[in-house]
Amino acid sequence: MVIVRPIRANDLAPLLALVRDTGVGLTTLPNNEALLRGRIEASLATFAGTADKADEQWIFVMEDITQARIVGICAIAGAVGLREPWYSYRVGTVVHASRELGIFTRTPTLFLSNDHTGASELCSLFLAPDYRVGRNGALLSKSRLMFMAQFRERFAAKVIAELRGVSDTSGRSPFWESLGRHFFSMDFAEADYLTGIGKKSFVAELMPKHPLYSSFLSKEAQAVIGETHEMTRPARRLLEQEGFRFEGHVDIFDAGPTLESDLVDIDVVRKSTTHTVAGIRDNSAEASADSASAAPLMLISNAHLAGFRVGLGCCKIANDKVVISADIAKAIGVEVGDAVRVVALSPSERA
Amino acid sequence: MFVLRPAELADLPQIESIAARSAIGITSLPPDRDRLADKIANSRYSFASEVDMPGEEAYFFVLENASSGELVGTSGIAAAAGFHDRFYSYRNEIIVHASQELKVSNKIHALHLCHDLTGFSLLTSFYIDPAYVDSDLPDLLSRARLLYVGEQRQRFADKLAAENPGVCDAEGRSPFWDAVGRRFFNMDYPQAEQLSGGRSKTFIAELMPQYPIYVPLLPAAAKLAIGQLHPDGELPFSILMDEGFEADTYVDIFDGGPTVEARVETLRSIRLQRRMTVSTNMPDLAETIECEEALVSIVANTKSQGFRSTIAPVVVGGGAGAGNSGDKVSISRKVARLLNVDDGDAVRVVPLDAGNHRLKGASW
Repeated sequence: MVIVRPIRANDLAPLLALVRDTGVGLTTLPNNEALLRGRIEASLATFAGTADKADEQWIFVMEDITQARIVGICAIAGAVGLREPWYSYRVGTVVHASRELGIFTRTPTLFLSNDHTGASELCSLFLAPDYRVGRNGALLSKSRLMFMAQFRERFAAKVIAELRGVSDTSGRSPFWESLGRHFFSMDFAEADYLTGIGKKSFVAELMPKHPLYSSFLSKEAQAVIGETHEMTRPARRLLEQEGFRFEGHVDIFDAGPTLESDLVDIDVVRKSTTHTVAGIRDNSAEASADSASAAPLMLISNAHLAGFRVGLGCCKIANDKVVISADIAKAIGVEVGDAVRVVALSPSERA
Repeated sequence: MFVLRPAELADLPQIESIAARSAIGITSLPPDRDRLADKIANSRYSFASEVDMPGEEAYFFVLENASSGELVGTSGIAAAAGFHDRFYSYRNEIIVHASQELKVSNKIHALHLCHDLTGFSLLTSFYIDPAYVDSDLPDLLSRARLLYVGEQRQRFADKLAAENPGVCDAEGRSPFWDAVGRRFFNMDYPQAEQLSGGRSKTFIAELMPQYPIYVPLLPAAAKLAIGQLHPDGELPFSILMDEGFEADTYVDIFDGGPTVEARVETLRSIRLQRRMTVSTNMPDLAETIECEEALVSIVANTKSQGFRSTIAPVVVGGGAGAGNSGDKVSISRKVARLLNVDDGDAVRVVPLDAGNHRLKGASW
């Protein structure tokens, strides 16, 4: 059984082993021990309430509690762009028209922006390859939404997620080749690494500041603006099901899309409900109940901050009371009388 | 002998045939009878006007073979580029993208759409009959304008500019236009110009990209075309370069050709020209024989409507052997008749070969 919980100091070693699997493009999770240690410390300070708003990092790990193994990681940055500028391109439209000359050209144009300054960001999602089965990916991604639903006052009104843009198997990004390379003679992989170790704004300062007519870019580059890497498409679908939308902002290096939503419009935030645990059934009873009624699989979390836990299970809700099974109760550390937050894992099964 | 003078309405048929012969790119000389007639009428009005400061005047000169009446060239000056509106150019700029942290410093070449040259006086309409390309006449055609400017400073801005044709192939296709303008127009430049009905280029310019263009993003042929001169433009361009015009800063927004500019007072023919009093005591013969003290010069009268300029040998200082009266200049009677001046009238004179102006011992 897997659950998601806040990261702890002693998660560093297993986490390092995990990130060695990370390919180019997961910029917020580089294979760099000092950096990861720093990020864990930042997360501990954030949960302890001692971090500055600008430094808040809520980092979670997915743990297989049966095997006591760290198998995934995900995070929320409390507010981006308050230490260093947060850059993205806004894809706007410039029209050149003359009725007299019969001209009407519509040119997608990239405007360098800091529009998302102060937004909360979903980031650093990574799941061990052998755990990319069943509902693990969905649990890992949506665990953050449950946390935000529970502690919404701690987050910005706007929530964003940057998705990896298109690159080939050798890490070559057509957008970078057509744009970034001219301004910064390095490979995308290197720029991407610099971004991951917190030097993105330095790299960004070398990039063009004036609006860019996309028609000046190569056909291949134009084609990938706002497109998601093949590997990241499932992650994009998950977020879109929760109400996140591509609103025209793309990454300045690989043109991957930034998805965004107002916090209050996130489906989990709108539809999850809190209840008091009225009873705990034994697991065999749940199993038989499941097969009988095909009850939907639920995200179930406790109401603690530093002791936050979220997992998957079934439950029976009656008014403000809920009955959950013994193993999920144990996994997220709740007893009868405690508060839990629940929502169906699949948006289509939510009321 | 040849004389440069303001264009007259009677010149229209000859000017029309010149316009038909001139290359694509001399947009100030449209092959269109009505527009040429307007151009001449506007020029006549401009020369005749009392002007305190430059405005919408446009001065149009023709170069005439005085014995045959044949016109062999044209040139012009627009008093204020983009008057009533804007004059668009691309300005070459270097943007340094640097990061101390990453130990990188990149110089990025960008073209900024600008109106910097708005209000500059503009040298325009240069055309010389190919038969005279290797003569002194191109100098007369181009530089006599500077004698007019020198005499009529109040009519012109303190800065001059001149557009020069950019590179294009035999069909008139410009690699710069194809990489820049075409993306917004989807048509050939001559076609765009034709469609705009010969109105000011501003009409087209407003449809061009307003944001700076990062040169590294352009295809190689377009990069090369930036500031590169069409071979047809080499002659007038070289005359302007010799005068001291600067060619590095501005390029044409359509074909990338170099637009040159300079402060009037820094130009060689402005600095070296002198206003002197005519004495017509040089024998006509001196025009054809070697005269030790004579200096071949561009000479112009000081009139506006009756402006005349020609190339002739002059002797500074009132005649052979005098040499002590710096504000007198001797010319032959024939030249005086051509310039419509007499003894005691003022003329402006600049040595034809400005680089060797000291060779003959004249006090320039």
